[in-house]
Formats: sequence, C-alpha cells, structure tokens
Amino acid sequence: MQLDHRIPSGPLTEKWDRFRFETKLVNPANKRKFDIIVVGTGLAGASASATLGELGYNVKTFCIQDSPRRAHSIAAQGGINAAKNYPNDGDSIWRLFYDTVKGGDFRAREANVYRLAQISNQIIDQCVAQGVPFAREYGGLLTNRSFGGAQVSRTFYARGQTGQQLLLGAYSALMRQVKAGKVTLFPRSEMMDLVVIDGQARGIVTRNLITGAIESHTAHAVVLATGGYGNAYYLSTNAMASNVTATWRAYKRGACFANPCFVQIHPTCIPVHGTYQSKLTLMSESLRNDGRVWVPSKKGDQRRPAEIPESERDFYLEKKYPSFGNLVPRDVASRNAKEQCDAGKGVGETGLAVYLDFADAIKRLGEESIRRKYGNLFHMYEKITGQDPIKEPMTIYPAVHYTMGGLWVDYHLMSTVPGLYVLGEANFSDHGANRLGASALMQGLADGYFVLPATIGAHFATATLPKIDTNHVAFTEAKKTVHERIQTLLSINGKRTADDFHRELGHLLWDHCGMARNEAGLKKALHNLPELKKKFWSDLKVTGSGAELNQTLERAGRVADFIEFAEIMILDALAREESCGCHFREESQTEEHEAKRQDDTFSHVSAWQYQGEGQTPLLHKEPLVFDNVKLSQRSYK
Amino acid sequence: MSLINLTLRIWRQSGPEAQGAFHTYESGPISTSMSFLEMLDVLNERLILSGEEAVAFDHDCREGICGMCGSVVNGKPHGPEQKTTLCQLHMRHFKDGDTLVIEPFRSRAFKLVKDLIVDRSAFDAIIAEGGYVSVNTGGTPDANTIPIPNPTAEQALDAAECIGCGACVAACPNASAMLFVGAKVSHLSLLPQGQPERNQRALAMVKKMDKLGFGNCGNEKRCEKACPKGISISNIARLNREFMKAVLFSNEK
Amino acid sequence: MSWFLSVFQSSIGKKYIMALSGACLSFFLMAHLAGNTFSFLGKEAYNSYAAHLHSLGGFIHVLEACLALVFLAHILTAILLFIDNLSARPTRYAVSATDRSWSASTMPYTGALILIFLVVHLLNFHFASKMISTADQVKTVLGNPPLGFFYLVALSGLTLHISHGFWSLFQSFGANHPQYNRFLQRGGLSMAVILGALFMLIPLLALTTDGFLQ
Ligand SMILES: Cc1cc2nc3c(=O)[nH]c(=O)nc-3n(C[C@H](O)[C@H](O)[C@H](O)COP(=O)(O)OP(=O)(O)OC[C@H]3O[C@@H](n4cnc5c(N)ncnc54)[C@H](O)[C@@H]3O)c2cc1C
Ligand code: HEM
Ligand code: FES
Repeated sequence: MQLDHRIPSGPLTEKWDRFRFETKLVNPANKRKFDIIVVGTGLAGASASATLGELGYNVKTFCIQDSPRRAHSIAAQGGINAAKNYPNDGDSIWRLFYDTVKGGDFRAREANVYRLAQISNQIIDQCVAQGVPFAREYGGLLTNRSFGGAQVSRTFYARGQTGQQLLLGAYSALMRQVKAGKVTLFPRSEMMDLVVIDGQARGIVTRNLITGAIESHTAHAVVLATGGYGNAYYLSTNAMASNVTATWRAYKRGACFANPCFVQIHPTCIPVHGTYQSKLTLMSESLRNDGRVWVPSKKGDQRRPAEIPESERDFYLEKKYPSFGNLVPRDVASRNAKEQCDAGKGVGETGLAVYLDFADAIKRLGEESIRRKYGNLFHMYEKITGQDPIKEPMTIYPAVHYTMGGLWVDYHLMSTVPGLYVLGEANFSDHGANRLGASALMQGLADGYFVLPATIGAHFATATLPKIDTNHVAFTEAKKTVHERIQTLLSINGKRTADDFHRELGHLLWDHCGMARNEAGLKKALHNLPELKKKFWSDLKVTGSGAELNQTLERAGRVADFIEFAEIMILDALAREESCGCHFREESQTEEHEAKRQDDTFSHVSAWQYQGEGQTPLLHKEPLVFDNVKLSQRSYK
Repeated sequence: MSLINLTLRIWRQSGPEAQGAFHTYESGPISTSMSFLEMLDVLNERLILSGEEAVAFDHDCREGICGMCGSVVNGKPHGPEQKTTLCQLHMRHFKDGDTLVIEPFRSRAFKLVKDLIVDRSAFDAIIAEGGYVSVNTGGTPDANTIPIPNPTAEQALDAAECIGCGACVAACPNASAMLFVGAKVSHLSLLPQGQPERNQRALAMVKKMDKLGFGNCGNEKRCEKACPKGISISNIARLNREFMKAVLFSNEK
Repeated sequence: MSWFLSVFQSSIGKKYIMALSGACLSFFLMAHLAGNTFSFLGKEAYNSYAAHLHSLGGFIHVLEACLALVFLAHILTAILLFIDNLSARPTRYAVSATDRSWSASTMPYTGALILIFLVVHLLNFHFASKMISTADQVKTVLGNPPLGFFYLVALSGLTLHISHGFWSLFQSFGANHPQYNRFLQRGGLSMAVILGALFMLIPLLALTTDGFLQ
C-alpha cells in the first residue's frame, strides 16, 4: 500500500485555496441524497455534524454520553489559539504555523499545519457569532493571553472553561440542525465496528447502551471524531469514557494508525493519592508563571515543606534551564519531575510529586494579587486535596494528557479506508510529536467547521457508491462478531474486574512507554503484553447481561481494546529510535540529557497497518518534507 | 488522610418499568481523600467480584464540568457541599458511621433509566427549540466587529456556565427547569448576537419546557442553592421578563 | 384570544397571573388594614369609617366584584399550579431536604387557610345581619375566644403567605437586580410582618381588652 497524502501542489500559502478551487463540488440539490455518519460530538464531531447538516447532507451523529454536550472537549480549560494578532505583538498566520511545526518537533506536515493556522481566525469569528462569551477588554474587544510558553498573546479564552464554551457553541449549532431535521442524534450509543463494503467505509455497527441492542447504520461516508486514547494508561486527565475502541476497530478494518507512541504528558496535575484513584486532574499550566518547582535536596527527606530551609531545596528547573526556568515546555518539565522522583527526591505520601511553590510570588506580589490570578485553580486544588496552596506549596506530578498519534489521514482528512474520515484528536494530523497548549481546540474546530465540509464533497463527487442496506452480508457479519465478543466477555466468569486489568495495563505502559523509554523496557512491555491479554480473556469477571444498560460490560470492551492497542504503541516507540517532542528515547539524547532528533532516519510519519490477528502489523513511512521551515534542535538552556 | 466506614442506602432499579427499592451496603473502610464517585467505584468492584451487578451511575469528566454525574445524597442533589458536583465531592466531608441515602434525580421529565441513572434528554429537546444563534458556518463577520462591554460578556458567561446536570430540577420542589432555561435564555439575550431571535427563543423554549412536564417555578430558590455552578435566579427573573416581553410586545407567536 | 390562552397555559403566564392578582390582593390588604386601624381610635371613629365606606354605594359594589374576580383568578390559578406541580414529581424522594424555606414551601397551605378564613370572615361580617353597629359586630365576633383564636391563627398564616409572596411577586415580574434585591427582600419581609402584626392586634385586643371598641 502506498500512502498518498494528496497535498495539493503549489506554494504553501496557496494550497488550501487551490484545493478548494480545484476540488469537484456536489450540486446543492444532490447533497440531500448523501448520508454521513459522524461518530463523536466533541468539538470536532459536533462542529462537523452541524456544518454538514447546514450544507444539506443527512447526518447521523453518535456519542457515548447521554447528551452530545458532554463530550470530553468540555473539560478543556486554557484556551484556543488563533493568528488574529489583535494585541499587535507580531503574530501572523506564518508565525502560528511556524510555532506549531516547531513545537511538534518537526514531525508534522507543513501543508496541514499551514491550513490550520489559516483557518484559526475564521474559527474565532464563527464562535463569536454563535454567542461564545470569550473574555473581553473593558473597551469591549476580545482579549488574549499568552499560553504554554508562546512569545505572543494569541490565546482566546473564556475563564478556565474555554472548552466548555466552545463545545456548547458547537452543540447549539448541532441542536439547531437536529431541530431542522438534518441531523439525527444517537446518544448513549457506542460504535463497535466499522463496516467496509467494496473497499469503502459504508456504515457502522453500534451498541445501544440503554437496551444493549446491536444496531446497524448505513451511510455514504463515515466520520470518526472519537477523541484520543490517553486512557490506555488507565490514569489520565481524559474523561472516563474516552477510549480507543472506535479508532481501533477502524484500524482492524484497514485504516492505518499513525505515530501511536506520541503521547503528551502534562507536567502540572494533582498527584495520585491512592490505588482507588480513577482519574487525574489537570492544573492549568499558567501556574508555572508564578510558581517555583522544587524538591528537597536530600533523598527521602520527610520534613514538611515549611521546615526545609531554602538552602536545602533543589529548584532543579531553574538550575538546569537558567533562561526558561520553570517555564520550560511540557515534556521537559515532565521528564525532569520524573527524574527527581526516580532519584528518591519526590514528596508527598507516595513520593511521586514535586512542589510548586507560590511563597515567593506571594511575597513579591501579595496574597491578594495571587489569589485574584489563580483563585479558582487554588479553589479546585483545595477541593480535591483539602490543602490551601497559599499556606503550603502545591504538590504536582505529570499525567498523560493528550495523544498526538491517531488514525493516519491525508490532506482531505481521509484515512486509508476510502470514505472513512477522521477528525480532531482521533487523527494524527497537525501536532507532530508534541502539541502546543491551546492548539487542540483549534484543530478540532478547524477540522469540523471548515476542513471536512470542504473535502468530503470530493469523495461523493468521484466515488461510485452503490445503494446498500443493513441486510448486506458485511453488516450481518460485523453484527455477529460484535455479538459474539460480548457473549465471550460475559461468559469468562473469572475473578478480576476490567478496572483491575486496566490498572495493570496502565502501570505497564507508564513504566515502560511513558515519559522516558528505552529498548529494554519497551521489549519487556512487549513481552508482558500477551500474558496480560491472556489473563484478561481467561480471568475477567463481568456481571449482568448484554441486553440491558451494563456499564461493567462497556468498560470490559474498552479495556480489551486498550490491551490490543498497547502493542502498536510499544512497537511504534521501539521503531522510533530517536527522541522527538514527547517521545524521549534514552538512547537518543545529547550530552546534557536533552532529546536528540535524528532527522536523517526518522523524519517521517509512522503508519501501522493491521495484518490480521496475531500478526505483527506492517509499518509504512510517509516522509516529511520541509520546504518552508528550517529544522532546528530545541534548546531551552 | 484517614479511613471512615459508612452505611450506604442506594436506590436499585433494574429498568424504567421495574420495581425499585433501597439496598443497604456497608462501604468498608473508605479513604477520606477519595471522591464520592471513587467511593462508589470501590463498592462496585466489590459487588462485581461477589457476582452482584454494579450500581449504575452516570459520570464522565470527574472534574465538575461535563454535567454527567449527579444523584441525591441525603436529600440534596450533588450532596451537602455547595457549588460542588458529586464527582468533586470528597469523602472528607463525611464522618465515620454516617448513613448516606443515595437516590436518583426525580422528576416527571427525567425518566429513570437504571439505578441512579436518569434520562435528561428533555434538556437537549429544549435547547433544540432555540438555544442557539442561527448562523451557519462561514460568512461571519470579524470577531471584533461588535464590541461587547466586559461586564455584559461576563454576565453572559455567568449564565453560560451551566453544565446541564439537572440538579436544579432535582432540587426544585416542583421539578421546574426554569433555572436551566433561564440560564440559556439569559446567556443569549444578553449578547448582541442573540438579539435577532430573542423573542422567538424565549417563547419556543418555554413552550417546550412546559410540554415536557417540568413543574412551575415557586421562587423558592432551591435550584440556586443546589446548582454546582452557582447560577443565580436572577436568570429566572430575566427569563420571566423576556417571555412576557415577547408575549406582550412582539409579533412572534 | 389565542394570545390570552397561550399566556394562561404557559407556566410563566400563570406565574404572572399569580403575581398580578397577588399584587392586587396585597393592595386590597393594605387598604383593608388602613381602614381597620380606625378600630384603634375607638368605636366612634371605627363606625364612622364603616358608614363612610357604605356611603360609597355602587362604587363599592364594583370594587367588591373586582376583588372577587381577583381572588378567583388567584385561587383558580393556584389550584392549577398546585396540581401540576404535584404531578411534576410522581416519585417522591425518600429523604427530603430539611432546610426548605417555611413560607415558600407552605404557600398552597397558607393559601388554603386564607381561603377558609375568607369564607368565615365574609360570613362573620359581609353576610351577617346588620342589626348592630360594625364596631359591636367586630367586638362580638373577635371577642369570642374560639373565633378570635381562629382569626389569630389564620392571620399568622396570611403573614407567612405574604412574607414570601411580597418578594416573590417582584421576582415573577422579573424585577431582580443586585442594586435593589436586598431592599425587596427585606422590605417585603418587613411589610409582611408589620401588616400581619397590625391585623393581629385587632383580635388580640378584642380578646384581652374589655374597653376595646367600647
Ligand atoms: C483536562 C484537559 C484540558 C485541556 N485543555 C485544553 C486547552 O486548554 N486547549 C486545547 O487546545 N486543548 C486542550 N485539551 C485537549 C482538547 O480538549 C482535546 O484534544 C479535544 O477536546 C478533543 O476533541 P475531539 O472532538 O477530538 O474529541 P472528544 O471531545 O474527546 O470527543 C470524543 C467524542 O467521541 C465519542 N466517542 C468516543 N468513542 C466512541 C465510540 N466508540 N462510539 C461512539 N462515540 C464515541 C464521545 O462520546 C465523544 O462525543 C485539554 C484536554 C484535557 C484532558
Ligand atoms: C389576601 C389574600 C391573599 C394575598 C394578599 C395573597 C398574596 C399572594 C402573593 C403576593 C403571592 C406571590 C405571587 C408570586 O409568586 O408571584 C401569592 C402566591 C400564592 N398564593 Fe396567595 N394571596 C392571598 C390569598 C390566597 C388564597 C386564598 C390562596 C389559595 C387558595 C392563595 C394561594 C397562593 C398560592 C398557592 C401561591 C403560590 C403560587 C406559586 O408560586 O406557585 N393565596 N399570594
Ligand atoms: S462527572 Fe462530569 S460533572 Fe461530574
């Protein structure tokens, strides 16, 4: 198989215009003859469904939650980037493009990223027109903040709940199309399989989470906007229902999975405090603007932070990175925290945490001013931990946060299965090996509002899509497989719960395929995985039946997929013998222990193709060509 | 961190038509740094291993923003802490030996699905009637074309913070949805973008709300107290104004 | 007409009717109280007030008819709301909240009490034989311990009713602003207490003071 990225020719700045001009259009009157399935109602799925409905297509939209408004996107806090340059501080489309490519450590496609930067401005216009209440200046114009170490202020935000406001905007547009009869909603439905007929994605099989019914849905194209797979690690900042099932099923039906080992680990999360813990809570990165990160200089120092004199504190980030200090990028901050804890200098009950101390900032700026700036974050921290960061330093630890990897897509956002499109965090397209803060929301909305609606028509205009119905053998076969799998899960009747297995998988991945990876560790994980899988399928316990609402069964199915998926994650991490972005291979580092890219051998996208049960997947490489930016090594010294 | 033991009386009902009843469980030792939902997770793990079905409850983000979680704990939606969703309620707020009665949200408009899970699609149905600005994607003016005074934008955001959890309905003695509807109508009627459809929106959303079987507001303020986002009943007053203005002075029907 | 129906059928429309009729009743209550305070000035003053009132003739009948209509609107709407609200939660909670507001949660019940009181009150005065002077009538009725006590109880019910109602009607009309919320809340409560206290003083005096209205 040849990976064809279908990037239009011509200068970078003209590609998107050229594409839209050259692409075949679907006659407005014909649009209603096409049915599109959209799985997912996060920023990507909701915006796509709404826009496709407005264009006149018949859309069927699915999500796991009881309402589309509850998709995981709702939890995004910090903001959304755009190249508006309202603050007049030197931003431009080109700069946003460059920052994103560089931030991704030169492992993303130039053409995709440039398009994203171009569209970013339209997203803000769109959201404002929908009534998204972004933060404003006293004069009434929109205000921006600088985010995640960017040198310009280009982040639009709505308090600490930008994701919520953006999603509610997209959701409202979606509900308008529901009212108009152009979108049919299927909440509390989980996609269990993709149906491919004559090489084209033509439908999905779902489980109705209320009745347990296995249902078939046909369409002329299928769009996956099912989010990231961070929950493979069990503990992450993702919502509980975030899963890999939809993209994994598509992978098994022929869609290549790209860069699965690119996982972003966020440095400032509330540390784990017990084995019962179900998820990790992100504390906004902005805290590092005023907080100082430190650990005791002595190993295993059990004293309370206040009792440790200044001279016995190790401000390791400030020491190691004098110019960036506490503001080094996410991956650097995370890796260093892990290093300190591995060296036995971690703090807190578990020893898996470092301090983030505001004492100096309070001294300098006053408690009042610090409270005004971070009041709600402090409040959230106190709610969860019962401690007041004004009185005692916060404890933080890195946590899995975002997955840059995802299904491989071309410039049209189409996967290697014709007619299967992938949007948002579920695809791999724009962030390379590392995502910049406030860029995921931008990408999700760009994909859904603007890119897909412009590209999907090309498929309808050119492909031959014969009429099919749910009696087609491909549907009955897929339904049967889904049904059998559920019956197997229910009949094992072992002694361990799905969560228990999930926790074990999480440990395995965190230890060997987490913040720092090496060949021995990855091989060990690869070796242990089949054993875990075997235990899962022989010792799992699922209560209840398949013909009712059964959350235990839902979990078990998702965990089963995570276990299978983990294999390509590890394989990918093994194959990429360089360090880049969030992927840190201990074998590839500079003398100062910084990540070392190897552009000669690894300047490509790794796309894994399923080869059948028990077979090692096939690795395809899409070379990355940089005509417009000069590759440079990151340095934060 | 310390450990406490609780007695849990949880509503179990296998389906909408089935007969429901309270079941009593001993929590076993519970760490006070657990969240309420983690406490239920621990119970569920035990139930599954003993062959009993886990207690079904809705949840997703566990950060207090998706609005998916919510049950009534000892008579209070989302439990005893103010401005806190159930997933953000931590066990340190309970004492060793406490008995917790955990029930689903109850209202004619929210049908029970299973155990603690209810069907809140009525909220989506209300939004579909007008909880939006009718703009298609594309062709929108530059975001800075219309200045909006900062306090107005903030006030709109105060209302737009609603997470749609349904605690207002659960808390209202009359199971009214006025706070939910008031919040959305306020959010949009405060902003210039919401003006063109202002009258129609208020009329249509209220009509739908009534049709779906929610009760009538009695101005008892229970909703405001239960709201995890602290949304104010001033939004209900605004809804009252918007609705009557639309009825009396507009051409909309 | 369809316009009117759509208002009346809507939840907010019904609340407006409650608020509007409640406001009218409140005005009536204040006027009624103003008149009855003449009782504190003695028999002469009170009787002359009563005579004055009756001398208004036809006009008073029109007012009475309006008042009856307002009562009817208030009561009928209240009953509609009550029934609708009962069915809005078919399954009750096992544990109900213990910190509900007294006045708000008892509106339908204090309302019903007022209704009973209204009937008794009208029988006592409006439909009573006009053989003796109004002052004597008041003294006889309210000086009678069971009846006097009933008046006291009913009037406390009324006080409770309006202690929520006064603020509530402004909220129903949509008047809610941080600038004057405290004023409305406190003002409403004080008005209710003052009104109730003055009204209750009448049966209290009739029961305890021999010289009252003599
Ligand atoms: C705590 C947190 C804070 C963040 N803050 C920011 C930020 O400030 N700025 C920023 O740019 N990014 C941020 N991000 C990242 C960003 O929120 C996500 O990457 C983005 O929202 C993903 O959107 P999505 O539409 O791709 O998918 P999601 O929002 O994850 O939606 C997935 C949808 O797919 C559905 N689904 C999944 N699987 C199935 C299935 N099998 N069947 C049916 N439906 C399915 C789900 O129900 C859901 O509707 C943050 C992330 C987290 C965790
Ligand atoms: C002099 C007599 C009365 C006065 C001054 C009065 C006043 C009021 C006022 C001001 C309100 C508030 C309206 C609002 O919330 O907007 C109210 C509500 C109410 N009244 Fe009365 N009322 C009187 C008699 C009655 C009677 C006789 C009944 C019953 C049969 C009654 C039943 C109610 C009920 C049930 C409500 C609450 C409605 C709701 O909010 O759902 N009232 N009243
Ligand atoms: S689980 Fe999302 S609000 Fe509680």
